[in-house]
Amino acid sequence: MDKLFRLSRTEQLVVQFILIAWAIVVLFPIGVAVINSFKPNLGEVYRGPLNLPSEWSFGNYVEAWVGANFGKYFLNSVIISGCTVVIVTLCASTTAFVLVRMPFRGSAIIFGCFMLGVIIPIRLALAPLFVTVNTLGLLDTLTGVILVQSASMMPVAVFIMTAFLRSVPSELEDAARMDGALPFSIYWRVVLPLIRPAIATVALLTFVQSWNEYFLPLIFLQSPENYPITLGIAEFRSQFAVQWHLMFAGILIMLIPTIIAFVLASRQFIEGLTQGGVKE
Amino acid sequence: MTYKQKARIQRLALLLPGVALYGIFNFMPLLGLLGLSLVRWPGIGPSEYVGLGNFMQLLGEPYYRDQFFNALFQNVYFFVIIIGAMLILGTGLALLLSFRTWGRNTYRAIFFIPYPLAGAAVAFLLNMMVETRGPINTLLVKGLGVMDAPIGFLGEPDLALSTLAVFYSWHRLSFAIILIMSAIIAVRVHLLEAAMLDGANRWQTLRAVVFPVLGPAFILITVIVMVDVFNNADYTLLLMGPEAGPLRNTDIMGTFLFRTSFGGSATSVNINFGMAAAIGLITALLILPAALYLSLKNLRKD
Repeated sequence: MDKLFRLSRTEQLVVQFILIAWAIVVLFPIGVAVINSFKPNLGEVYRGPLNLPSEWSFGNYVEAWVGANFGKYFLNSVIISGCTVVIVTLCASTTAFVLVRMPFRGSAIIFGCFMLGVIIPIRLALAPLFVTVNTLGLLDTLTGVILVQSASMMPVAVFIMTAFLRSVPSELEDAARMDGALPFSIYWRVVLPLIRPAIATVALLTFVQSWNEYFLPLIFLQSPENYPITLGIAEFRSQFAVQWHLMFAGILIMLIPTIIAFVLASRQFIEGLTQGGVKE
Repeated sequence: MTYKQKARIQRLALLLPGVALYGIFNFMPLLGLLGLSLVRWPGIGPSEYVGLGNFMQLLGEPYYRDQFFNALFQNVYFFVIIIGAMLILGTGLALLLSFRTWGRNTYRAIFFIPYPLAGAAVAFLLNMMVETRGPINTLLVKGLGVMDAPIGFLGEPDLALSTLAVFYSWHRLSFAIILIMSAIIAVRVHLLEAAMLDGANRWQTLRAVVFPVLGPAFILITVIVMVDVFNNADYTLLLMGPEAGPLRNTDIMGTFLFRTSFGGSATSVNINFGMAAAIGLITALLILPAALYLSLKNLRKD
């Protein structure tokens, strides 16, 4: 075992060389973005995209945030992904609780319907979904986008939660039921604390997914004051495509929350990736 | 009210929100594909029942047929490049990371950076990298001097789709690395030891003991990527627009579907929600076998 994974000195050097090469491929675009986002003017970006800035300035970030309405887009993204995370974790955990712990005739069918959503991506049902949202009068509202994005995350979330709930024993809940506790309080006092790891995984997946979602807001939002940051950056690009120093700053503003989320919870992230990897 | 009645009402109250949310905004629209695919309807005004007319038109009428097969074949090409990159590079890097390499945890963290980034940000960021005045061309022409003129990666009809596939792979590769690494780690230690004791060298051990268990991870990656690239066309939409230029050379199923529902430009006349539903349905049928396989596997696991 040890012999298999231990490397001789030459081997170590070769392996290091390859790994460094790929690390450069990964870090190069991000590094270029960081360097250039601090350059005071566009000329410097074009003259030498790989040179360090002559003076480091935060001006581009301020300009992107204020001048290009990034503050508003950012706020919309916070609202959309915040509400989506709350709705998905609540609805998926209650649904999973009922389906696993209080099955009834037809609960297997309901679970099957959720699994259909795991299999077929909602984007393929773009036209009927548009009709639904339009009929309900939710076109071009944040509510509409929040509901659509929440619903699109539900199948994977229910899947992760039911799988987790099946793996934990139900003794505590049985005891609570013996004491006369009703489903609401069993859910709130016993189940919710019990499935906290699954909730963390689902919340993180949902946050990253809804923060990064471009397509669904593109379909259902029209007015720029409702745009989340993914649409905002596309809008921004249509005005400032050549203003690379601003583009780089805007892109980095957009990346910061997901990077923070990832640094705070990389373990859950990787778990979510391997468990709920059905939809990325 | 007895305890039983109260419990039953509360159970319903717990179940309802999730089922209603999913039902209205996900499940019903999926079923709605079946009905909508049978009508011709520009999204407003009256709709006209055409039976299987949309499907006939899609496979028969040159205007739609050419777009459909163009998008389908380009989508397959796009998929093949991505899955090739993911399996080959992913396996290679995962293997190197599972050796006793110096700094392997740091490398793993670095390799994972792109994964949680937004597709929109990655698309624009990498697009700027490959612009004719961008860093990569600057490096190739001025820095290393290996090229005389800058390459227009996304402007060239022959290169554009491959470039988008490279973008996708850059973004998602760590997903393959993580899945393959967890498969390597899961190899049972005593099997490895037995192989080494029998005098197998490293390569023989890898080939006989480690590679066979990578099969399930490969299948998982292939299916997930396949489902994703056949419905998600964010890169093309973001960088090339719904017309999927140059000359529809980056058109894939997702952009074709988008164009049919909402038109490629303001002057589009061929908007038909029924046709969009038909395309969605056909794409769903194309990826269904793979997706079904995956979900059955997932269900068996618990």
